[in-house]
Amino acid sequence: MQNQIHVGRLSPRRHWTNVLTRYTVGVGGAAVIGAITLIFAYLLWVVAPILLPAEIETPTDYRIVERPTALVDVSENGEAMVRISETGIVEFFSVADGSGIAAFDLGRTIVKAKRLSPLVDTYALLDDNNNLLFVKTDYIIDFDNGQRRLSPKLSFPFSNRSIPLGPLDNFDAQLADDDLVIATVSGTQVSLTRFKNVEIGYRLGGSAQVTLASTVQAQEVFLGPRNQWIYLLSKSGEIDVLGIKSLQRVSRIYQGSLAPAGSTITAVTPLLGRYSLLTANDQGDIVQWGALVTANETRFVALRTFDVGQPVAQLITEPRRKGFLSVANDGELSLLYPTSGRLLDQRPSSLPASAPMAISPRSNLLIAAPQDGLITAHGLDNKHPEISWSALWAEVWYEGYEEPIFSWQSSSADNDFEPKFSLTPLAFGTMKAAFYALLFAVPIALMGAIYTAYFMAPAMRALVKPGIEIMAALPTVILGFLGGLWLAPIIEANLSSVLSVFVFLPVLLFAFALAWSLLPEKIVHSTSGWYGLIVTPLIIGSVYLAFQFGPFFENTFFGGNSRAWFLEVLGLSYDQRNALVVGIIMGLAVIPTIFSIAEDAVYAVPTHLVRGSLALGATPWQTLVKVVLLTASPGIFSAVMIGMGRAVGETMIVLMATGNTPLMDFNIFEGMRTFAANIAVELPESEVDSSHYRILFLAALVLFLFTFVLNTVAEVVRQRLRRRYGSL
Amino acid sequence: MSANKSTGFFRGWFASGEPWIWMNAAAVGVSVSAVVGIVLLIAVKGLAHFWPADVAKISFEDKNGQQQLVFGELIELDDLPVKQFLESGGNPNWVTEGDPRMQRWLVKTGNRKTNPPDFRWIYVNQINNTETPGGVIVLERVEWGNAYGVPKTLTVGRENPQTITGEALMPTLLERLARGDTIREEIHSLEGGAMNAINVGLERLRLQMRQINRTLPVDEAALAEALTERSQLNAQYNDLEKQLREFYRQLDQDQLIILDAQGSEISLRLADVLRIWQPNNMNALEKIAEYVGNLWLFLSEDPREANTEGGVFPAIFGTVLMVLLMSVMVTPFGVIAAVYLREYAKQGPLVRSIRIAVNNLAGVPSIVYGVFGLGFFVYFLGGNIDQLFFTDALPSPTFGTPGLIWASLTLALLTVPVVIVSTEEGLTRIPRNLREGSMALGATQAETLFKVILPMASPAILTGVILAVARAAGEVAPLMLVGVVKLAPTLPVDGTFPYLHLDRKFMHLGFHIYDVGFQSPNVEAARPLVYATSLLLVILIVGLNLTAIRLRGRLERLYRGVES
Repeated sequence: MQNQIHVGRLSPRRHWTNVLTRYTVGVGGAAVIGAITLIFAYLLWVVAPILLPAEIETPTDYRIVERPTALVDVSENGEAMVRISETGIVEFFSVADGSGIAAFDLGRTIVKAKRLSPLVDTYALLDDNNNLLFVKTDYIIDFDNGQRRLSPKLSFPFSNRSIPLGPLDNFDAQLADDDLVIATVSGTQVSLTRFKNVEIGYRLGGSAQVTLASTVQAQEVFLGPRNQWIYLLSKSGEIDVLGIKSLQRVSRIYQGSLAPAGSTITAVTPLLGRYSLLTANDQGDIVQWGALVTANETRFVALRTFDVGQPVAQLITEPRRKGFLSVANDGELSLLYPTSGRLLDQRPSSLPASAPMAISPRSNLLIAAPQDGLITAHGLDNKHPEISWSALWAEVWYEGYEEPIFSWQSSSADNDFEPKFSLTPLAFGTMKAAFYALLFAVPIALMGAIYTAYFMAPAMRALVKPGIEIMAALPTVILGFLGGLWLAPIIEANLSSVLSVFVFLPVLLFAFALAWSLLPEKIVHSTSGWYGLIVTPLIIGSVYLAFQFGPFFENTFFGGNSRAWFLEVLGLSYDQRNALVVGIIMGLAVIPTIFSIAEDAVYAVPTHLVRGSLALGATPWQTLVKVVLLTASPGIFSAVMIGMGRAVGETMIVLMATGNTPLMDFNIFEGMRTFAANIAVELPESEVDSSHYRILFLAALVLFLFTFVLNTVAEVVRQRLRRRYGSL
Repeated sequence: MSANKSTGFFRGWFASGEPWIWMNAAAVGVSVSAVVGIVLLIAVKGLAHFWPADVAKISFEDKNGQQQLVFGELIELDDLPVKQFLESGGNPNWVTEGDPRMQRWLVKTGNRKTNPPDFRWIYVNQINNTETPGGVIVLERVEWGNAYGVPKTLTVGRENPQTITGEALMPTLLERLARGDTIREEIHSLEGGAMNAINVGLERLRLQMRQINRTLPVDEAALAEALTERSQLNAQYNDLEKQLREFYRQLDQDQLIILDAQGSEISLRLADVLRIWQPNNMNALEKIAEYVGNLWLFLSEDPREANTEGGVFPAIFGTVLMVLLMSVMVTPFGVIAAVYLREYAKQGPLVRSIRIAVNNLAGVPSIVYGVFGLGFFVYFLGGNIDQLFFTDALPSPTFGTPGLIWASLTLALLTVPVVIVSTEEGLTRIPRNLREGSMALGATQAETLFKVILPMASPAILTGVILAVARAAGEVAPLMLVGVVKLAPTLPVDGTFPYLHLDRKFMHLGFHIYDVGFQSPNVEAARPLVYATSLLLVILIVGLNLTAIRLRGRLERLYRGVES
């Protein structure tokens, strides 16, 4: 704009070209700048949902045929509701408008109905003659005249023969892979029936049975994880846990109490995977009890306590996650999640506390049957309950661990796995890698920059500077490959030799420098610009000597095996791909960045300052330390900042030269996992829009902001420096 | 007295700063040695692999004290501490008295199918005798790696087998191999040409039929037409398949028997053999010729055996194509943005902060761009493109999955700051009086821009683009998220419409290094290839950077002329 000159008459073509160019450039420029802001905006947009609160939505009521309800549930795709009535009628309703879609009559009276854990479409129904029947629902989608239609079907997964159970107070059934166990309690009596090699669609084979006595008057019975044990729980909170891996050798695993003395249990339910039990007591607490299996015993410890403000009458768990919902006596609903310890949302409702209820498989719908002819459905907007500030950054007490820990373990083969999303080990790994890299790179790069800018002969500088800057262009994948496959095995086999380089080099250098200073003054003076070249054979020589004397050091100081020595004496275990390798290799990647900026800063110090100092009688070294470095210090600072930014975000080197285990140990001989490497490894496998996906985006956002701020600080400092030189 | 004198000397010496200067000099020395060392290491290890090394006949004593004979190439001499050797259960008889370290050879013995493993460590003290007998041939095979042996008989033909031995064997063998090459080429062109075209046609028909079935009422006539076309294509395909089978039968006619070092027979289908050579019978010139040939094959062939053998052509092709696409996108946008910031936008705090932000983006980790590319380009843009234009193919994604176009776009975004910064630098250097002169002569701003400023800035723009290309060619981390694969079945460019397939996944030299070095089942066999690939990448990138540096130098000289 500043160059705009108004011209009287322009031919239309020239005029329009000019205008068009201005707008194209304007729009194009804005687009590029917009694209750049888009990165930040998009990352934030993906991350944002984890910050949004969960919500129990306003309910929808569906009027349906009046029948006493034994069980309600929602189909996998969330389109159909199912009600199993006490009169033995299984009915399906549309979630869209509550209209009936299909109904099946089982021809028997149902007194108790449960989901067959861990399935979401199969139910165990107990009739009034204490016979147990399994039914399975299927939802077939077909097209009728181009119209999409959902047709529910009802089938018997193990034939329509029911299993007689005898008199009982309560029962539970679970299918762990192909192992079906049915447990019943009657007073202190426990009966177990086990079917092996069970497959859906096939008749059940022969069963093993056992009846035994429990120490508690069990009110509730739950099968434990993979049918390894059962939980028996009395009204007053006494618990008896029996190991049932083999019905011939049932053993007592644990006995104790899950309620404070004098209180009673008002509700209890196992969480997905059944490693922990949730109990609600009449004092208004909900406690998560986790099984802690050690070599010689199994204990139950209170992992965390939730307070929803009033006693709870019913607990409903999510079928695919570890979250749950509590229903208070006055019908107030509270949505909670154990891992993050969050009370996600609360909402008063008019639901009777004991109404049949269920959460849909996708955890987005809560349905309840408050009356015989009514179904109430609350939408649940609760996509990322497992994430909270403390779940991401603080120690979390996960199921099966002895104490709260920091852990990153995002996925596993099991469906009932509790994901561990602590970013702390990754942040720690990132810092560790950057620290060791900078520890190696900063001294070398800065000293090299000082020498190159201040002492080096111009002829040599013209070669050295671009030479080192070329190193910045070396693809990091090559450095990473050399680190992982070339350097790591060398260091592992010659640890003491590598370490003794750090002894040999300074000592030899010192001796050499001393010897050189004994040469005639004239030679010393005229060669000081070429020290960098003169010293190179010395460096190569000292590495050679270190490798020659390595075995000697190994035997003298490390008892013949340095890795064993580090483990025994210092307690440092050794991984082949470790922080030392990363430090060296990533250091090499960072050196040119720091070198180049720092060299520019030192070189740009005005010469009249240097000459003035020398004229006042200071030696070159004094001038360097007292004048040049001081003046150039902001530039050097910004060089280190930018180098740090590079080390923090480097991906390939860390990916290839470390074991990528998310450890929290500062040991230089062990690996780490950094944000960047973690993203590279896990993002391609991560399900879009899942919590895991969004956390990985969060990690990217953190990296982005961190490096951006670091670079901005460096840039501002550098500009300040430039202004200062201008004034000098 | 003398002690005092020497302390005085040391104090003076330290005060002069001399030791510290040496230390600083050593830092330069370390950096330079590291650069040179790394490049040399890669060059030596990468180039050595292609040398047709002599095949030695090694007789050695194995763990059980048995005498063994193998053919093999001595790859690398290595040493390790005796202690480590003994701790891992080594035989104490092989230790030389008083030597703390022991030497061992890495020997490539090949014959992985009959006598695995194909790489083994043989301790020097284990070896009784090595010789390089003439007549040993090395066979490069389609699978199972190399085979080594002395040829014994060649059986030519299936119907009337003719057994050839002695003098005539080698010429016949070479002739039959050449015949095999011809047939393989025929197969290749058949599969990649006519058969591929039919497959593309069938896929198009499948989508077309889905489309017909979905729109109500169903257009029965169109459906019938599609069905006829499909059956025609299927019939054609069957014919071609018959042809293909005939080629394979032709190829698999001969049987070669070689003798391994122990003298036992190994029978090979000649159809599996790609090349043979006799290193022990070659003179230096022949070896050099063979070496150059090997290098060429490495550059021009497809990879085999989980990328551990063969060449890297698809990776070179993918890298170059991706970088080209990226340059096409990044150049105009980078230049426009720089022109906007320097020539059109009002200079002020806003533009200054934009400039800082652009500068800083160059320092944002590349993986962040990868994350953005995967989320925004692939899932958001690509997903929506699929919804709009490729509904027939859904749920299998067309553009909603990592691919060439997204990789190029992501890298364009990653490198746009490089181009902007470099172009801006060029624009700043253009003296103001040139602009004013142009305007004073009556040129419009656009004319000044196109006729004066951009031509003068072109070396700077070129420098920026070259630096961007160099950076993009070496980036791997973001590509792992947005489109690179270890083995792409087809190149992104081929003979079927639309010829350039932007949605395809591609191979990349950098990712090839990562994949072969770290994910391959046979690291020992793959390692030389990784070095060679690294060398290729280093040459490419260092070459580009040197070009950029030289251009920048020329630019500086040019302006010096203008300013004076």
